Amino acid sequence: MSSLSVSSSHITNELAVSIRGVGLTYTTSIDKKPTLKSRVKSLGRGTKQTRVVRALDDINLDIQYGQVLGVIGTNGAGKSSLMRCVAGILPPSQGRIEVYGSVSTLLALGVGFNPSMSGRDNVFLGGLAAGMSREEIAGNFDEIAEFSELGDAIDAPMRTYSSGMYARLAFSVAAVVRPDILIIDEALSTGDAKFKEKSLNRVKELRSDDRALILVSHAMQTLRDTCNDVVWLHKGKLVQRGEPNAVIHAYQEFLHLGKSAVIDEDF
Amino acid sequence: MSTPLQVYEPFKAGLPKLGRYWKSLWSRRTFIKEYSKSELREQHFDSVFGQLWLVLNPLLLSAVYFILIMIIGGNTDSARYAHLTASLFLFYLVANSLTGGVKSVTAGQRLILNTAFPRIMLPISAVVIAIFKFLPTLIVFLAIKAVVGTPFTFEMLWAIPVLLITIFLALALAITISCINVYFRDIASFLPYLTRTLLYLSPILYVASDLKPSLRAIEIVNPLFPILDSWSRAMVQGEAPQPSSMLQGLAWATGFFFVGTYFFLSREREFAVRL
Repeated sequence: MSSLSVSSSHITNELAVSIRGVGLTYTTSIDKKPTLKSRVKSLGRGTKQTRVVRALDDINLDIQYGQVLGVIGTNGAGKSSLMRCVAGILPPSQGRIEVYGSVSTLLALGVGFNPSMSGRDNVFLGGLAAGMSREEIAGNFDEIAEFSELGDAIDAPMRTYSSGMYARLAFSVAAVVRPDILIIDEALSTGDAKFKEKSLNRVKELRSDDRALILVSHAMQTLRDTCNDVVWLHKGKLVQRGEPNAVIHAYQEFLHLGKSAVIDEDF
Repeated sequence: MSTPLQVYEPFKAGLPKLGRYWKSLWSRRTFIKEYSKSELREQHFDSVFGQLWLVLNPLLLSAVYFILIMIIGGNTDSARYAHLTASLFLFYLVANSLTGGVKSVTAGQRLILNTAFPRIMLPISAVVIAIFKFLPTLIVFLAIKAVVGTPFTFEMLWAIPVLLITIFLALALAITISCINVYFRDIASFLPYLTRTLLYLSPILYVASDLKPSLRAIEIVNPLFPILDSWSRAMVQGEAPQPSSMLQGLAWATGFFFVGTYFFLSREREFAVRL
């Protein structure tokens, strides 16, 4: 289990994450909500209730401190699965992942697991679940609230939030906590133009020699601007890794789209 | 090179490393505390009227059931009312753990998809919430007992181990049912029928010793039977419960705990792809 409370200084180029021969195969139910009723009703029909998904296949990847790694690929390429493996949310089916630091994740869903509780309660509970102490969260809370620009809404139940407010709070939590390794999964693309710029600036600020950032995004221009390394995943395999412009170019060639305005557009 | 802080490897079928799991769970005990607190606050149980409702609800229930006993059984004994309230309140500790536990994992979806933590924290929190809801009813029962005039004795202290066994059983059941609900989401809809059946199979509306010999099978198949009987003996009659009943209750709780926890721990790593 990852813990955010362990934080130490790291030297540039020191290994942050080592991913060795990682494969991920999982079984998921076909129904959105599997029920006993549907299972009983389909007895004897021989219809399948589950589907086996091969999400990652023999991924080898080293991430060093000081790196800002962009992860690109089409939908279903395994980007989010890989991020969940690094964060310890999903154990890999093959291979080994070693993490040399504290990890904070800002995956697609963000904070707010209980919408009937206030933003404040959700931030505290999310932090506690991630292994932080109450004092650590309390120490960061003002900055989180201020960065999110939610004002008084921070004490309102999260079900009253708009999707932009959700995203702003989620980003603020991940960005303020200052982990050794920060994973941001398609979360930069939310919020209004002003907040987008603010969060992008924050990411740039967070780029430092003793931190590793992993950004999953479809916004090629953002990745070109912020990353110093990009990997391209396709159908669970690592296709290419290297200098951002080269990899993004190859990816766009692959999509037969070339340099089109639509995918090049920021965020 | 320094040693890695975390290593994630495929799990060989079965359980995670229990020592590490426990450490990780223990370090997050504040979560359980805070979660229960915010959940109770959200349900307004931190206010006077919220607390009052906590007490009023089971009191009204016990009044309704007492009318039922009076009409069907013709029993108007006040000690019987004490038995009814004591048993009903303890029964609701288990029932609330089940209703809170059943959706604890599926409702924690966002947290599970985003954060690595021991998932078992969620059903544990549900049981802690049920315990907090139980405590005020305990005080109400003691007041009823004083009014009704059943004896206060030192043997009543036997209620403490009985309560601990009940909490243990409630925890075991909550863990089991929260995990089953991930795979069969309609278990939550079946639950009211299950708790209602358990209610009638337990010595609440009747006293264990009144049970016809032909119905004694209930005693053996209902995990709640021996503990509710022991509870009533200690709390209402103020006598020591039968050791065999307490051991039987403990055996049920231990059995459910090991089976349920094994099931939960061996499955929890795939919750993220099942939700």
